Order: sequence, then structure tokens, then C-alpha cells
Amino acid sequence: MSNASNIQKLFNSPLVCVNVGPKLFGEALEKQNVKVVQVDWKPVAGGDKKMQELLNELGGF
Amino acid sequence: MDSLASLSMMTVLMDQEGIQNAYAGMASKTTKNIIAELGLMTAEIEQAREEDLVISARAQSREVFDRALEEIDKIDDQFQGTKFQTFNTIDSAVATVPEANICSISVPGEYACEVTKHALNQGLHCVVFSANVPLEKEREMKELAKQKGLLCMGPDCGVANINGAAFVLSSINNRGPFGIVGASGCGIQHVAAMLHEMGSGVTQTIGTGGKDLTQVVGGISFLMGIDALENNPDTKYIILISRKPDEKVLDKIIQRIKGCKKPVIACLMGADEDKVRTSGAIWAENLDMCGVEALKIIKKEYTFESEALLDQWAEEAVRGMCPEQKYVRGVFAGGTYCDEAMKTMQEVIGGIHSNCPLRPELMLENSYVSVGNTVIDSGEEEFTLGKPHPALDPNVRLPLIEKEGDDPQTAVILLDLILCPPEHIDPAGVTIKAIKAATDKACARGGKIAVVASVLGTDADFQNANLQREELCNAGVYVCKTNRQAAKLAAKIVKLRNGEQNI
Repeated sequence: MSNASNIQKLFNSPLVCVNVGPKLFGEALEKQNVKVVQVDWKPVAGGDKKMQELLNELGGF
Repeated sequence: MDSLASLSMMTVLMDQEGIQNAYAGMASKTTKNIIAELGLMTAEIEQAREEDLVISARAQSREVFDRALEEIDKIDDQFQGTKFQTFNTIDSAVATVPEANICSISVPGEYACEVTKHALNQGLHCVVFSANVPLEKEREMKELAKQKGLLCMGPDCGVANINGAAFVLSSINNRGPFGIVGASGCGIQHVAAMLHEMGSGVTQTIGTGGKDLTQVVGGISFLMGIDALENNPDTKYIILISRKPDEKVLDKIIQRIKGCKKPVIACLMGADEDKVRTSGAIWAENLDMCGVEALKIIKKEYTFESEALLDQWAEEAVRGMCPEQKYVRGVFAGGTYCDEAMKTMQEVIGGIHSNCPLRPELMLENSYVSVGNTVIDSGEEEFTLGKPHPALDPNVRLPLIEKEGDDPQTAVILLDLILCPPEHIDPAGVTIKAIKAATDKACARGGKIAVVASVLGTDADFQNANLQREELCNAGVYVCKTNRQAAKLAAKIVKLRNGEQNI
């Protein structure tokens, strides 16, 4: 699919949103009849920076 | 607990009978500052650690406080519960719901790049509200988006309206023939609201985040946004909005406009007018004119309050003030609006002090202490660290409004109200409490403070902008059609006050 049509496809499709972060933003979208799924995001490795860097080098998180 | 939960807590607290003043939030330095400002500091709160939740209130009795806590427990339960299908990772969400096509990301800035790249790699377009992302990281995520042909709106994107849905801090707008690309969320929302008010509307509004037009980021999302709207058959006209772009990026944008097949209205505030006009775009000097020029294309005329009416309001407003009342004090939720107000007022009353001043010598030494004519952006970090943005939580700036009433030199308080779907359902009602507290203090000194405001939003917003304006009017606030008009009125009031001083 060409790059331009990726965006046009979004404009022509019903929105289905993955909400990463505070639920209130997802709830606001749901009130507007957007389908929303929630990701309960937490910092990888409990926020341990060194461990994150290591995991990132091993293939991303 | 996220900061949005503390927002609800404070709202619930303040709504309880017998609670005169209250604050809730994670015990950050900023929270402690605000609690101290409110006179609600205790030794226990001083000692609280950043991960502690503190709730402090001045209550008529212990019983009233306990009852308020019971109500708060209910809110806490509500935030713990979830009605969404919930996943631990973006990958698992997309694997289960393959029709997912967009991702709204509001994680701490230091994690935003990795999370966004992850979402892009899953084929999701992204709206990234997270702020404080280094420019190199921003470029990295936007280059990946470009490579994949996906929209990367943000970081620091508060406003995007896609397929009629208002993301993050956007207003809910009618759909219509205009597509907007903007590096100013407040700017996008302003122009879209003017279109809505006049019965027109938007196909899509693509926020890029305020840093997209820096040299480092190079306008990647801005240029992709123009492409997207040009290719979108429903978009008949394209509106471009930003604060001053980097010159090299501006050159790229001008070249792109030259090649654009659709009419373009450009509101690139601070850019050279002649240079922008060479692109063939219709020039709009400010946000108000951007709305006016766009509406002209579809043969609609937008009218503002006349100068005569503003003069009449100013004269009425100054009657009954004390001799020492001569300054404007602005407390803004929107950064672009803060800028616009300072630019508008300085033409009439000279330089304005601020935590985000137009000139470095006007920088406030302490953002909490106003000097002469002062306008503060309450969305800046010193006020929002660990707390929600004031456009989401009207409570954040209440102490800042209220304290201006303590200064006998305050003549006029200037405010903006910005509506958005996740916000409190009645920001005007919440703000009126602080307005009343401030004006009561001036009355007690035998004077009176004028309050001037504008409301950014539409009648489709859950709060209904018209009802919010009505509520403010009923509370004695001068409500202007736009922020620029409100700033003009405030400047007129200050000018009249200083005129009197010179007599």
C-alpha cells in the first residue's frame, strides 16, 4: 500500500483506538462513539533505566 | 493514581457542602507549593514523599471532612475499575483487535518515543500528547512514521480531530470542507470553533505538536499533513496554523504550498508576510483573521464586538475602582492564547511581564508573584509538574486567579476557558468560585475587579460553549467572542485606569 493511501484508509475507516495512558482520554473518545481498547502502560523493568537500555539493545520494548 | 484522577477528587471535594478550600494530588514539590499558597499546609504534608497522595481541605468540621473522604473513595473506585477491553501491551491489543488503526499516547515524555515507535511498527497512526520529548527523539519517531506512511501527530499534540472524533484536548466540531494542519493546538481549536460557530466545519484537523517546524524536526508531520489533506477528496480548502516556523522549514512549506492543488489559508504567526504570500496562500495575520479569511471563501462573514462596544464595556468596568487599581493580571490555560494576549495588549499598554514573556527582560523572577501588568501561562511546567494541564483541570489555576484578588493594584483579571471532552463538565462554574473570591477581596477594600474572559469551544462540546459563556456572563464576567477581543478589552481597561492616574 502506498504511503498516501495508508492515511486515506484511516480517513475512510471507523476509528478503533488503542489508548495508552490515562483512561480519561479513552473514555472521552468512547463518549464520541469511538471503539477504544486500553493498554495499561507501565515503564518497562519498573523504570530501571539500565535494564531498559539493555532490553532495548536486545530488540526493543 | 494518575493526575486526572486527582482532578476528579478535587472537583468532588470542592462540591461538598462545608468544604471551603481543598487540594488533592501526588505530593510533588508543585503540589506542596500550591497547598502552601492555599494555606492548607500541615507538617504531615511537608513530610510526604512524592509517591504519597495528599488530600488537604479546610472543612467546617471533622465530620464534613470525613464525609468528603467517603465521596472521594467512590471516585477512587471508579478510576480503579475499567470498562474497556484492557491489555498489557500494544502488541497484544493489536493482535486481539486487528482493526485498531490509531493510538492515543499519553505516557511520560521520556518513554514517548519508544512507545510511539512501537505503535507505528504495529501499523497504528499516532496522536502523542506526551510532552518534554527531546527534538532528536521527535525526529526519530516522525521519520519512522513517514517511512511507514502513518500520521504521527505530536509529541506535545493536544489537538487532533480525526473522522469527527476529538482527541485529547480538541473541541468537538461539525464536519465541513476545511482541513487543518497545525503546530499550535490552541490555534487549530480556535479556527475550527469559528468555522463551527458559522455552520461550517472540518474534515480532519492534524496537530503536529509545537516543535514540528523547528530546524531539527524539519516539519515532517506538517508536510505529511498537507499531503494527506490534498489527497483527501472531502477536503476542499487547507488551513495551516503555527507559531513562527524556522526559516529553512518555512521555505519548504512555501514550496509545498506553491505545488498544492487546493486553496491554502496560512496563519504562520510571526513569519514574514511577503514571503508567505509568494506561495500563493491567503495570508492571515492572526487566529481571528484566519477564521475570517477561511469563512470568506465560503461567503460567510464573521463579526466581532465593535471597538465602540469594547470602549463602552471598558468605561463601565472601571467605574468604582480604587485609585491604586491599574494592572491587568492574566491567568492562561493555553500557551498560544497567552502569547496572543501579550502581543495584543503590548500595543496599547506596553510590555507585559510573564513566565513566558515576549522579551527576556520581561521574565518574572517568580512565576507565582505578578509584577505590574502580568500574564502567566499556567500550563507551564512550574505549575503542572505532576499534575494535569489546566485545560483539563480547571482547579489547577484557581489559586492563581484567587491570589490576584489579594493585590490592591489588580484592576482586571483576564482568563481563557478551553473546553475539551475529558475536561470537567462545568469549568466555568469551577472558575467562578475563584473569580468571586478574588473580586470579593477587592470589594472588601472598597474597590472592584473587572474580569474579562473568552471561551474556546463549540456547542457540540459536552460542556456546551454557549452555556459556559452564559454562566460567566451571569457571574458578571465580560465575555468576549475571542481571546484577542478579550485582550483588547483588558488593555482598554488598563489604559483608562492609567489615564485616570495621570490626571
